[in-house]
Amino acid sequence: MKLRILFVLVAAVSMWACQPEINEFEPTKGNADFSVYMSAGNSLTAGYAGGALYRSGQENSYTAILAKQFEAVGRQGAFKIPYINSEDGVGTEGASLRTKLVMGYSTDCLGNTSLAPVPANPNATLQELAILLGTSVAADGPFHNIGVPGAKVTHLIVPGYAGLNPFYARFASDASNAVIDEIGLIQPTFFTLWIGNNDVLTYALAGGAADEITAVGTFAASMEAIIGTFKTTATAGAIANIPDITDLPYFTTVPYNPIVLQDQALVDQLNAGYAQYNALMEQFDLPHQISFKLGANPMVIQDPSIPTPPGYEMLRIRQIESDELVLLSIPQDSLKCGYWGSMKPVHGQFIITRDEKSEIDAAIVAYNQIIETAAQSHDLALVDMNELLNQGSTTGIKMDGVLFTTEFVTGNAFSTDGVHLTPQGNALAANTFIDAINKKYNARIPKVNVANYEAVRLP
Amino acid sequence: MRKQFIITTILVMGLLTLHAGGYQVRLQSNKSTGMGLTGTALQMGATSMFYNPGALALMQTKTDFALGASGIISRISFQKSESDLIAETDNSMSTPFYFYGAGKINEKWSVGLAVYTPYGSSAKWEDNWAGRLLIQNIALQAIYFQPTVAYKINDKLGIGAGLVYATGTVELQKGLNYGSDSYVKLEGSTSNIGFNAGVYYNASEKFSLGLNYRSEIMMEITGGDASFNVPTAVEANIPSENKFDAALPMPANLDFGVSYQATEKLLVSAEINYVMWSTYKELEFKFEEKGELLNSKNQCDYKDTFIPRIGAEYVYSDLLTFRIGGYYDPSPTNEKYFTPETVSLNNLAFTLGLSITPSEKLSIDLSYLQINGLQATKTYEPDQFGGTYKSAAYIPGIGVSYRF
Repeated sequence: MKLRILFVLVAAVSMWACQPEINEFEPTKGNADFSVYMSAGNSLTAGYAGGALYRSGQENSYTAILAKQFEAVGRQGAFKIPYINSEDGVGTEGASLRTKLVMGYSTDCLGNTSLAPVPANPNATLQELAILLGTSVAADGPFHNIGVPGAKVTHLIVPGYAGLNPFYARFASDASNAVIDEIGLIQPTFFTLWIGNNDVLTYALAGGAADEITAVGTFAASMEAIIGTFKTTATAGAIANIPDITDLPYFTTVPYNPIVLQDQALVDQLNAGYAQYNALMEQFDLPHQISFKLGANPMVIQDPSIPTPPGYEMLRIRQIESDELVLLSIPQDSLKCGYWGSMKPVHGQFIITRDEKSEIDAAIVAYNQIIETAAQSHDLALVDMNELLNQGSTTGIKMDGVLFTTEFVTGNAFSTDGVHLTPQGNALAANTFIDAINKKYNARIPKVNVANYEAVRLP
Repeated sequence: MRKQFIITTILVMGLLTLHAGGYQVRLQSNKSTGMGLTGTALQMGATSMFYNPGALALMQTKTDFALGASGIISRISFQKSESDLIAETDNSMSTPFYFYGAGKINEKWSVGLAVYTPYGSSAKWEDNWAGRLLIQNIALQAIYFQPTVAYKINDKLGIGAGLVYATGTVELQKGLNYGSDSYVKLEGSTSNIGFNAGVYYNASEKFSLGLNYRSEIMMEITGGDASFNVPTAVEANIPSENKFDAALPMPANLDFGVSYQATEKLLVSAEINYVMWSTYKELEFKFEEKGELLNSKNQCDYKDTFIPRIGAEYVYSDLLTFRIGGYYDPSPTNEKYFTPETVSLNNLAFTLGLSITPSEKLSIDLSYLQINGLQATKTYEPDQFGGTYKSAAYIPGIGVSYRF
């Protein structure tokens, strides 16, 4: 009797000791057709990160993440990516090549060892890397992700672009193609496009000393041609705008005043050295003066744009202003031990001056106007990456317990090159795309959990 | 007939979904559990030391012992906002227990010792679940030791109070954003004192009233062990071994209950518990080393709750007594600060109980409590982590009491 009652109780418990069920999310495609998805763009779209194109970087690009999420709303088949067969990858460094940058220890000229981006394989030869980059994977195509590192908006419509950019040559279906010719091979029903960053970034990365900002008219015409090509088959898509690239860690990590002086004798020596400069500038009523004091000092830079006293053109130097930017590419050892910025004025290729920044800012505003207009006229979702980076650089962005900022390495969003995204940053970008697409097309595409993606890996 | 009664009741329970608040666990007597966890206005011998020490004064036998335990099988399901990601907890069974021993010294005075576990919480989420940066697993437990005295003012009125010595342990682990194998684990234990006091009044032969207050006890952990599993490169800033301080309140309760002996066989009880959760404003962690980097303040802003309870007991025969009850325990959590650490939803609970009394002295008490946490969509705003939660707890319990 007692046992029977006990049995009933225990049976009852085990019967209901079940997991409560929740099913609150029904993915829906809304007014868009995601069955064939294709993405175009530059290095961000390709999955370039840590200064190189490498396999897991490609696997974690925002576009690869989107392709996975689109499966819930009807995307069919494989999403083909022109994978590079290497985890160390290959990237450009000036005219040379190198493997991806990982966080490692390096020793500076003062003998101090610290954590810094270092090549994953410092022993990789130029020849190996050239072969890796030069090996065509076109036979595995056609590809759904046609992001090309280094491409500007104008480049995507250039026939024979493979001859100009090895990152396109390695997967081009035909050497005479323009990148947009790949679109016809896939016939997408849905596309994403994030292009235009390089139209101003390439100039900025050169410190305004090389390349040029794409003219607004050219930008608009190229954008129109690319979207037009997509729209021959695609009925829906999303286009992302250009963030204010001068907020990237590449431009905000090195301070304007890294010249730290602790020795009064050196201060005096420097001030004596610039006494004649100061006297001349004053004599000709010109604005700049150079002076040093104990503590942190703004660096002395070359600026070909400033007026000089007649006959003293070599004096196109001045101290940097606090709102001007120093590039991450500046050799740290030269700053620490080579008297760069104090006795030796820093070359303009490492600096974005106030004027250059204004040009960049104006170009971005104009480009984003074009992109917004294009999104409206072609009835596309507009992804506001400009606002996203703006939030990241001001308040930071919290998502799933991760804080994204524009801090180099520790900000979680940007990889070891200070420009491209970490897998976690890509997940944030993918969620931003999904938000815009869901809103535009009344769809319900599931978002990803950013905490499940890696930030910068530390040793 | 008896079996039919049980099965019918169980089926009714199965149709409903229920829940419970914060990290309070009121499983301090299997008899009381069967009656919707009421007890403030009941004469329950030694177990009254928890529910209302005033009732101990009117204890009917000279000596009374009670011992029991429950097994909490709890399940939580979660679906992330705007996502198809689902996560579940895999909680090991937690087992709150109680022991009471009380005796009459003379006609007026009774004394006793109560040992019970009024607060606890445990949740173990799947490895690398969506909220791993907020919590991976947590286990809280408090054990209260309460020496008690009660005084019978007259045959109708009793007062009683106990000094509570509380010991507690906490263990929690959460992921850090340095890769999937990096985490912090915190372990600490502490003790503190409080009190439990009550008044019990037999207004008439049929009607009783009880009022009870249990004070807040702040569990302050000093020098708890913190271990961080982080990349070597970060260890200069985040030492792998550290000490931490934190304080978690065990809130005060004010309980008011009435009971009514409807017939010789049927006893009905109702009460309301006022739980002063608003004391739980934030959970702050202070670290001995690198505090400037590691210290954190997590806002909670809990609010006070009222829990209405109702229960009934039916003496079927000399051998068998049946009990049934239910209660509604609203969530004390704040809309903005709902964390997966303590998934506390609005809870609707139903209870069943059965006592087998082979002799007048011995009683074997079985209880079953099912708590259904009503589905709700919640966010922890500071981390921008939200989703839909639903929970359920299945709690069978068994106890024995012996009086003479």
